[in-house]
Amino acid sequence: MNKRVTFKLVGSVMLVEAALLLLPLFVSLVTKSGDQMSFVITILLTALCGMSLRAIKTPDDTLNAREGCAIVALSWLALSFFGALPFWISGSIPSLLDAFFETVSGFTTTGATILTDVEALPKGLLFWRSLTHWAGGMGVLVLSLAILPKMGGRSIYIMRAESSGPSTEKLVPRVGQTAKILYKLYIGASVVLFIALLICGCNWYDSFIHMFGAAGTGGFSNYAASVAHLNNPAAEIILGVFMVLFGINFSIYYFLFHRNWKMLRQNSEWKVYLSVVAAATIVIAVNILSLPRFQGHFGHALRASFFQVSSIMTTTGYATEDFNLWPQLSRVILLLLMMIGGCAGSTAGGLKVIRLQLLFKCAIRDISRTIHPRSVSVIKLEKRAVDEKVISGVQGYFFISIAIVCLSSVVVALDGFDFETTLTSVMATFFNIGPGLSLVGPTGSFAMMSPLSKLVLTFDMLLGRLEIFPLLMMFAPETWRK
Amino acid sequence: MNIIIVGDGKVGYTLADRLSHEGHDVTIIDKNKMALRKASETLDVLCIMGSGANLRTLVEAGAETTDIIIAATTNDEMNLVCCLAAKQLGTKYSIARIRDPEYTESLTLLQDKLNIDQVVNPERTAALEISRLMRFPFAMNVESFSHGRVEMVEFRVDIEDNLCHIPLYQLHNKYPHVQFSAVLRGNDSIIPDGSFELTPGDRVYVTGERISVTAFFRQLGKDTQRVKNAMLIGGGHTAYYLSKIMAGMGTRLKIIEIDEERCRELSGSIDNGVVISGDGTDREILQSENLREFDALICLTDKDESNLITGLYGKREGMRKVIVKVNRLDIAEVEESLNLESVINPKVSAAESIMRIVDALNQSTGSVMDKVYAMQGGRVEAYEFVARENLPFLNTPLSGLPIKKGVLVSLIIRNRQVIIPFGSDHLEAGDRVILTARAGTIKVLEDAFKKH
Repeated sequence: MNKRVTFKLVGSVMLVEAALLLLPLFVSLVTKSGDQMSFVITILLTALCGMSLRAIKTPDDTLNAREGCAIVALSWLALSFFGALPFWISGSIPSLLDAFFETVSGFTTTGATILTDVEALPKGLLFWRSLTHWAGGMGVLVLSLAILPKMGGRSIYIMRAESSGPSTEKLVPRVGQTAKILYKLYIGASVVLFIALLICGCNWYDSFIHMFGAAGTGGFSNYAASVAHLNNPAAEIILGVFMVLFGINFSIYYFLFHRNWKMLRQNSEWKVYLSVVAAATIVIAVNILSLPRFQGHFGHALRASFFQVSSIMTTTGYATEDFNLWPQLSRVILLLLMMIGGCAGSTAGGLKVIRLQLLFKCAIRDISRTIHPRSVSVIKLEKRAVDEKVISGVQGYFFISIAIVCLSSVVVALDGFDFETTLTSVMATFFNIGPGLSLVGPTGSFAMMSPLSKLVLTFDMLLGRLEIFPLLMMFAPETWRK
Repeated sequence: MNIIIVGDGKVGYTLADRLSHEGHDVTIIDKNKMALRKASETLDVLCIMGSGANLRTLVEAGAETTDIIIAATTNDEMNLVCCLAAKQLGTKYSIARIRDPEYTESLTLLQDKLNIDQVVNPERTAALEISRLMRFPFAMNVESFSHGRVEMVEFRVDIEDNLCHIPLYQLHNKYPHVQFSAVLRGNDSIIPDGSFELTPGDRVYVTGERISVTAFFRQLGKDTQRVKNAMLIGGGHTAYYLSKIMAGMGTRLKIIEIDEERCRELSGSIDNGVVISGDGTDREILQSENLREFDALICLTDKDESNLITGLYGKREGMRKVIVKVNRLDIAEVEESLNLESVINPKVSAAESIMRIVDALNQSTGSVMDKVYAMQGGRVEAYEFVARENLPFLNTPLSGLPIKKGVLVSLIIRNRQVIIPFGSDHLEAGDRVILTARAGTIKVLEDAFKKH
């Protein structure tokens, strides 16, 4: 592996993080929340490390798939470590492991928290905690590709390793340009959401925090009761709609802007995704109608159901209701939505709709093969044959995901919580959702977990966000051999 | 500019690489998945799988808003259809690679009727290159500028040449009509200045008027007899074009081709040669066809390995001139160790001539680039510019101009007069200027000078 290039680019990413840290510092100074020193120290440290890595001389600057994955994996570890420093330095989160968990949860847009009293945190730190969602959603490396000067064609490897979904394609010939377009769309949509929240009557700080959480499909709130605290039906509906929108592949918006109706019509993922959201919303609304809370008021039930479905399906994790108390059918449906997740190329986590579409088609093909053993059939998506490598990749990914969930559950089971808590804590972190069911439900937190479980869950979050392989690759000895 | 390249073969890949490095937005269309994967992973370009003749694929590649389409598949008809379709959709300029003589001969009609702006014919370009080499058998490369008036010849300096260890300014006094434009020593490419001294083994590029260059080599005692007869191995399109070019020069050819059907076809279409049916890489056949009686051996089969081995064999047999055609792109790096002097690469030449067309389309400044020639495997380039009236630096002595380091004004051609420039010479509007410089440093003539 070309270690020099790898570390040099990790250095660049750290400089980008140092720049991002200036925003919470600014907020901290404006709100006089008293946590500015922790940011100043972190920015200096991060910038210093970043600069010294940038100073590495690279006689040979070729990137291959291997370097691309290593850059992404190492950058995310570095981002999370340095991002955790403000929490630890300020003393708001005394344990470094807990601070690391919280930051990883932020960058991976999980939204799982170890804090029991969120509202006690100073405003600068809360701002940073939510900003990590926003940056991690579209990807810090994609941001670096967009703002750093030309990195050449091979930087597609970096983009592929960080973006979600089975196959990442460029929108325009250049990687840097593609990254810029993605961020422009992302920033544009975020600004619209921010203004909409302001109009609904939220104050600027709440608007920022919830915009970050919804855009990155993360789910950190500055209130213990999450979005329910705002007690603002209009804001709830807007957040619900925007979460669904941020769960759609961003290239769809690019086609929309270019009036490329053909590509919109051809792409089936967003249609399947929206259908699932609609179906789940209606089924759950009917199911929870009989709860005393809604007293047969269908409108209220529908609103509650839509917000929860949108939040869970896009793996955001905001809550306006404690769905832990809902009927079993609704809880199971939410659990399934957790696994499905959003669309590829969006900020959402989960297995991704497109993977399940492919797996479904594979299953049908296998059945038809048993009937016609000599038949030759190609799996098609959007009227195009799908490469067999992509298909076997998706099947492998599905298996490894299940395996990771099972193994992690075994480790978490050592803590001795009930079955629901154990399984859903792993799923909630691996699929980057945030809250699970039972003890880790929307009103709970991960604070009571043992350090070992926290470590495993932290790792699961990173595995889930980076789609497993870049991170697992770091443990293969061949990666480090010359 | 937005450029679509159809066909991700050797020509397409080379073009995509160079064009995207020059800052153009490139989209490649090809049917071959493996070729596309390589391009999409190593180049900053967009790759689309499909046929370039398919309208839907072309629309997906953005043909409506594209500036140039380059059709470089191996199939002539396909290339024609690609250009035709793209032009219909709104592409501004089309370049097609056409190789079949049947088509090239009716080119004028084809171009007008089919809306093709430029035609590139790698085989014909290769044949022209070979014909130039046959005029200077000792040369490793010969390139012509200014419509054939000026020639740039690459040769290896020997001790007995009496050129070594003398500063170039002294050599200039001795040979005032030629310019020493570039030197390759080991792996270093050097743009020499007046104090530079040559050493034996250097590969030197000498530029000058055609007669002056010939006179220079005669003075050195080089073999300036042109090749009178040549043996060709492989009777493809290149052999056909070469025989047509050589017919005018009175050179006799013997073409050995393995395919009988093709032999019959060839012998029907050429007049100045004998066509032999047989395996030209077989020593027995070469011997029985009296290889030693020929001045030159030219290997043009489709297999690089056969060409190289047969070429080396000819070298050992003491042929005056051996020319080998190679298709691979990465040959430049090992060319030196092969000890073969003249290796021609039609794919690279084709890519270069297309680059020139694209560069010319991209001009909007005080000069027009007429020609770029990549020397020494592309590390040094020679450029031919026409200076326009709005070029700054006109009518100022060269010694007063801020010429960048590593750039050499090799020649000035004014009113058909070739001038080897010294410090007191100046540029005038309408002059043709030949520069040598490191590859990629110059795009317009102004680049040769420092900014104020």
